Amino acid sequence: MSETLLSIKGLKKSFGKLEVLKGLTTDIRKGEVVVMIGPSGGGKSTFLRCMNLLEQPTEGSIVFDGIDIVSADEAVKNRVRSEMGMVFQHFNLFPHLTVLDNIRLAPRLVRGHSHYATARQALELLDRVGLADKAKAYPQQLSGGQKQRVAIVRSLAMEPKVMLFDEPTSALDPEMVGEVLDVMKDLAKNGMTMVAVTHEMRFARDVASRVLFLEGGRIAAEGTPAEIFDRKHDGRLGEFLGKVHVGMGFRDKVKSELLDILEDREVSEEELARLKELLGGASRQSDGFSNPTKRRTTQ
Amino acid sequence: MWQGLIDDFTQCFVANGRWGYLLRGLGVTMEVALSAIAVGLLVGFLVAVIRSSHDRYGYFRILNFVAKVYLTVIRGTPMVVQLLITYYIILKSIDSKVLIAILAFGINSGAYQAEIIRAGIESIDPGQMEAGRALGLSYWRTMIRIILPQAIRNVLPALGNEFIVLLKDTSIVGYIALIDLAKGGDIIRSQTYSVYLPYLTVAAVYLVLVMTLTWLLGKLERYLRNTGADVVGNGS
Ligand SMILES: Nc1ncnc2c1ncn2[C@@H]1O[C@H](COP(=O)(O)OP(=O)(O)OP(=O)(O)O)[C@@H](O)[C@H]1O
Ligand SMILES: [Mg+2]
Repeated sequence: MSETLLSIKGLKKSFGKLEVLKGLTTDIRKGEVVVMIGPSGGGKSTFLRCMNLLEQPTEGSIVFDGIDIVSADEAVKNRVRSEMGMVFQHFNLFPHLTVLDNIRLAPRLVRGHSHYATARQALELLDRVGLADKAKAYPQQLSGGQKQRVAIVRSLAMEPKVMLFDEPTSALDPEMVGEVLDVMKDLAKNGMTMVAVTHEMRFARDVASRVLFLEGGRIAAEGTPAEIFDRKHDGRLGEFLGKVHVGMGFRDKVKSELLDILEDREVSEEELARLKELLGGASRQSDGFSNPTKRRTTQ
Repeated sequence: MWQGLIDDFTQCFVANGRWGYLLRGLGVTMEVALSAIAVGLLVGFLVAVIRSSHDRYGYFRILNFVAKVYLTVIRGTPMVVQLLITYYIILKSIDSKVLIAILAFGINSGAYQAEIIRAGIESIDPGQMEAGRALGLSYWRTMIRIILPQAIRNVLPALGNEFIVLLKDTSIVGYIALIDLAKGGDIIRSQTYSVYLPYLTVAAVYLVLVMTLTWLLGKLERYLRNTGADVVGNGS
């Protein structure tokens, strides 16, 4: 078992009278990929935002790299944040800066790295996500998927010890989800410690080392992807998994098989198109799961 | 008729070197207006950041209270009265009338600029602050490097309008016996008993000043819009 990076104990958070997190305890180990799932309002975002202190927890402790950061002073908190990357649902790129400057702003200001070194690093990272040619573009000239890849690179430029993702693909058009998930899979493969809130269940199943089910401000279930997805559950978890249509993974497989078969037959283009439409296009991005929050979160 | 006009012109602007009133007056007007714009921007930024930080994040409780009193007093009393109070009471130990005018107009304009800039700051998505903080930037650094450049771009037209109002407002400095462009024209009128030429000339010069300022602001606005440029200068 590898070393613990983030040790969270009895974490509580209230907004006024509303207690959103009701005492969460979990350890995040180096190299782990933790996926958080759960119904809307369950406290997933709040939990994530407490980890890097964008929200100040009301109670409990978070030990990061050996120090309790909840009660640390502002300078320490800033340093801690610089060592944790965060990727937001709506990208939050800086629209007044080019892609290149978005990426190197923090390395330059916070770490004091040189103009040249940060430019080189930014270009290398952009190249890794296939966006080297966009360095001089402004965010508004990019597609959603490109924006999110830049946002990930912007975080990576700080060489974080852990990356936090809050529904990074929920605001994307379906055809762009894959390109962002691919970048995340790549990160996971290279040993990055990650905590991700996502409704991409296939990603969770394939990439997660652990799945947390957050409900009503508590960790209501926890386990390996196999334990969470491949067993029957009662109660809230079962209900939730039922809603995200885990069972449809099978139906999607049937769809794509069917389309493959039909493609070899003498079916007119028109008929094929019509069939595809009827089947709702078994694209790989749909991952076999409809996303219950998709409609709500697209703004 | 032409001879009359030429005589009038000679009388007003050439005889006894009276054009000097207008030229020196123009200098005073520009000095007071431009410096007051700068003072106003300084005060405006400070107050705007304090106010919006308080409203959004609950920071600076006491400073916010002070800022609110300042805004209420400045916006609730006439400029002329503020100028007279500054001259005769608050800064009566200061000799330089120009300096007094700069401070009085700057502090007055600061209140209006503050409200404009605050609207600009509050128009920025809170996600921008979060992204900055998440990268490890301090609150102030995020404010200065990320929020303010976008806020200014959004409110530049309103801010430009305030500059123009300020420029024209300085024409009341005659109240503290400072000879600016308007007062210069008035002196020529009182010496020559000629009304049309001095006042119309003064009006025309103000118009040219305002049009020049408008043109410059328009250029800046287009520049910022087209390049999406970084106002604060990220060294890019
Ligand atoms: N800044 C805030 N002020 C007040 N209440 C808040 C704030 N942020 C979140 N909440 C409340 O906390 C609860 C949990 O919100 P949170 O965003 O953490 O849920 P979530 O699990 O991320 O949900 P979703 O899937 O919709 O993103 C909700 O009831 C929400 O209204
Ligand atoms: Mg959320």
